[in-house]
Amino acid sequence: MSQSTFTRRRFLQVAGAGAAAATIPEWLAACAQSGSGPSTSGGTPKPGNLSAFIAKDTAHPQAQAQLMAMIKAKFEQDNPGSTFTYDTYASAAEETTKLETSAAAQDGPDIFEFGSTLVPTAYATKAFEVLTDDMWNHIGGKKIFFQPQLTMSGPSTDKLIAVPVSGNPFAMVYNKTLFQAAGIKQPPKTWSEFVDAAKEMTNGSDQWGVSMAPADGFDPWHKIWLFVTQMGGQLMDSTGKKGLLDSKESVQACAFWLDWMAKYKIASRQFATFKGADEVRAFATGKIGMQVMTGPGGVVTWDSSPVAGQYEFTLGPTVPYGMSSLPPGGKPAQGFVSGQYWTIFKYSKNPELALNLIKVVVSPDIQYQYFKLRAQQPVVLETFTKYPDAKAGPWAALYDAELKAYPTPFFGSWGPLEVEVGKAINKIAAQIGLTGSYSMDDLKSELTQVNQELQATL
Amino acid sequence: MDTVAAARTGVTGRARHRSAMRVPYWLMAPSLVLLALIVFLPMVFAFYISFTGLNQNTIGDWAHAPFVGLKHYVDGLSPKGPLAESFYTSIKASVVFSVATTVLILPLGVGAALLFHSRLRGRAFFRAVVLLPYILPTFVNGILWRLVFMNGSGAADQLLAAAHLASRDTFWLIGPRSLWALILADVWASWPFIYLMALAALQTIPGDLYDAATIDGASAIRAFRYLTLPLIMPTLGLAIALSTINHFNNFALPYVMFGPTPPDEVNVLPLNIYVNSFITFNFGLGAAMSVVALVIMLTPAVLYLRAARVGDTD
Repeated sequence: MSQSTFTRRRFLQVAGAGAAAATIPEWLAACAQSGSGPSTSGGTPKPGNLSAFIAKDTAHPQAQAQLMAMIKAKFEQDNPGSTFTYDTYASAAEETTKLETSAAAQDGPDIFEFGSTLVPTAYATKAFEVLTDDMWNHIGGKKIFFQPQLTMSGPSTDKLIAVPVSGNPFAMVYNKTLFQAAGIKQPPKTWSEFVDAAKEMTNGSDQWGVSMAPADGFDPWHKIWLFVTQMGGQLMDSTGKKGLLDSKESVQACAFWLDWMAKYKIASRQFATFKGADEVRAFATGKIGMQVMTGPGGVVTWDSSPVAGQYEFTLGPTVPYGMSSLPPGGKPAQGFVSGQYWTIFKYSKNPELALNLIKVVVSPDIQYQYFKLRAQQPVVLETFTKYPDAKAGPWAALYDAELKAYPTPFFGSWGPLEVEVGKAINKIAAQIGLTGSYSMDDLKSELTQVNQELQATL
Repeated sequence: MDTVAAARTGVTGRARHRSAMRVPYWLMAPSLVLLALIVFLPMVFAFYISFTGLNQNTIGDWAHAPFVGLKHYVDGLSPKGPLAESFYTSIKASVVFSVATTVLILPLGVGAALLFHSRLRGRAFFRAVVLLPYILPTFVNGILWRLVFMNGSGAADQLLAAAHLASRDTFWLIGPRSLWALILADVWASWPFIYLMALAALQTIPGDLYDAATIDGASAIRAFRYLTLPLIMPTLGLAIALSTINHFNNFALPYVMFGPTPPDEVNVLPLNIYVNSFITFNFGLGAAMSVVALVIMLTPAVLYLRAARVGDTD
């Protein structure tokens, strides 16, 4: 028979374990904090070794290596005795994992590159330097940049943490040959015209008016944000504490996008499994009339495909379906501010050197190389006056698109929202893929469920 | 005098015995310390995190993340909790996936072990070849099977259409068939594990036993039923338990095949935990889900240990 009395020894054992469990986080945190670096200050920095963690250009890996070699050479020439190395991430998962581990350990690369929608999350971690006016002036001042890009650098003009280094403007790309064959004179300005034009180009078997990628990790929220913004709604309220994924505008926005497959039949239901890369490949076949809200990332693929010379970028429709003008509160958005940003890690031992490196990257000559070598849009205005080809030809519409881009809300919780929108869209798109249709009740129920899940994380 | 000497000898003998009894513990000490650091400490830490609101706002100062008590457990486990539907869907997906895969690979692995245990021409070559799926990195396996199951253009649709068994337009990566796509991919990659375990067990059975069975007139089927199977059963039991746990824990294959927002049928628990922790930065919730997953995974382990009576000395 076992003894159930709580002896003094047993009490000490339990108390000891409890104390250890309570102090472990403190102890580990203390270990992590022991290596924090100096704060940023002016003056000539001491030579040092600088490290950066940047996004891999999977479409142009050699061109990226060439560009980084140029940046390294220029930086090391301007900063004698200092060196620069970089590591790359190939997926959003790697990007966030590195951010999380570095923020928790307070140890990591001197410079992080983030996509525009991850900057709010990076800001929320408080692990990055807020750039002072002196620091901005050191790299040329805020005025040298495309001003819309700065809207995603921080929550307000005095709390900017990220320097734009390249742009990824969204516009609509269309197949001129298919437009001509269908007798369509000009790109649609409203979504009603868009659906009509897409119907003209669809044959229902191997040629479709439009492509879509509902299985992509990002495309669903891109499109839903666009339609909701045009309708005057929001995906999250202005405090960032209340999800609005089940609002009337959100339901309408999702329904309109999914109806491209289910109701208007202007997109194949096979697109239900498409991700972004599949969409680019589909357009390259020359059998797709339009691709909405797309960046310059597909240019290299299309220029070496049957569609080469047959496509053109233009601004996408801005008036909601069934309307002839924007509703009250609606914004003429056709894309959001998108691109890559460099931030200085708060625990960097070389913040001044990091700033010197950023100065090299935002110089017009290097900015032009971003365009020339990697088909990325420069974000420094002088680049376009010095190198006019950066906004010529297909890039003219993209330049225009960049100027008209709207920022997405600067909330650290935007990441969870992206995932939840994707979950709802994936599920209903799968239903359409399998059966050809969906019910509004199912859509509303899904959006209510994901909004509930989102709310639990806010 | 003799009594004192005997008593002293007795005391010394008992001390020596006690000292000798401690030796195994000292020998195990380095392993135990490593286990504590690598397994126990992170588990304690995950348990602690599951009671906090650790997210993107607090990760920079995670030691002071706010204490939220049982919120994450209530959100996920309470039937009316906002995350209950997603959580229970994932538990169901994981259980179905792990049990179905284990059930399918068991006869495959045992059958292959019996085949390659026999004297077969080219046995060494075949033994090496069947291990290929097992040594292929999981992400490569995932990409290959994603291509196989691509709608319309994938090999699965092409083959089934050519054999007039299904339409060329059959979806495998969305909807209910996605579970079968995942199970098939995992069966292909993991059956050699059962094969290896069964082969190892077969090689420990003395040939004399089969000779005796043959002399007694036992057929091959009876020899398998009453000789082979009982003798490899302890090893197979361990293989089944480990296999179920491994499949339950499989994250990479569903992630590569379906991405972070998979269909419900394949939204397995590890994937759900990963998305909550590392994509939406909700580490507290992810930790709570991990604790529940740990409890679930202990079930096959405990069942196996009880069945095998591991630790019994008699």
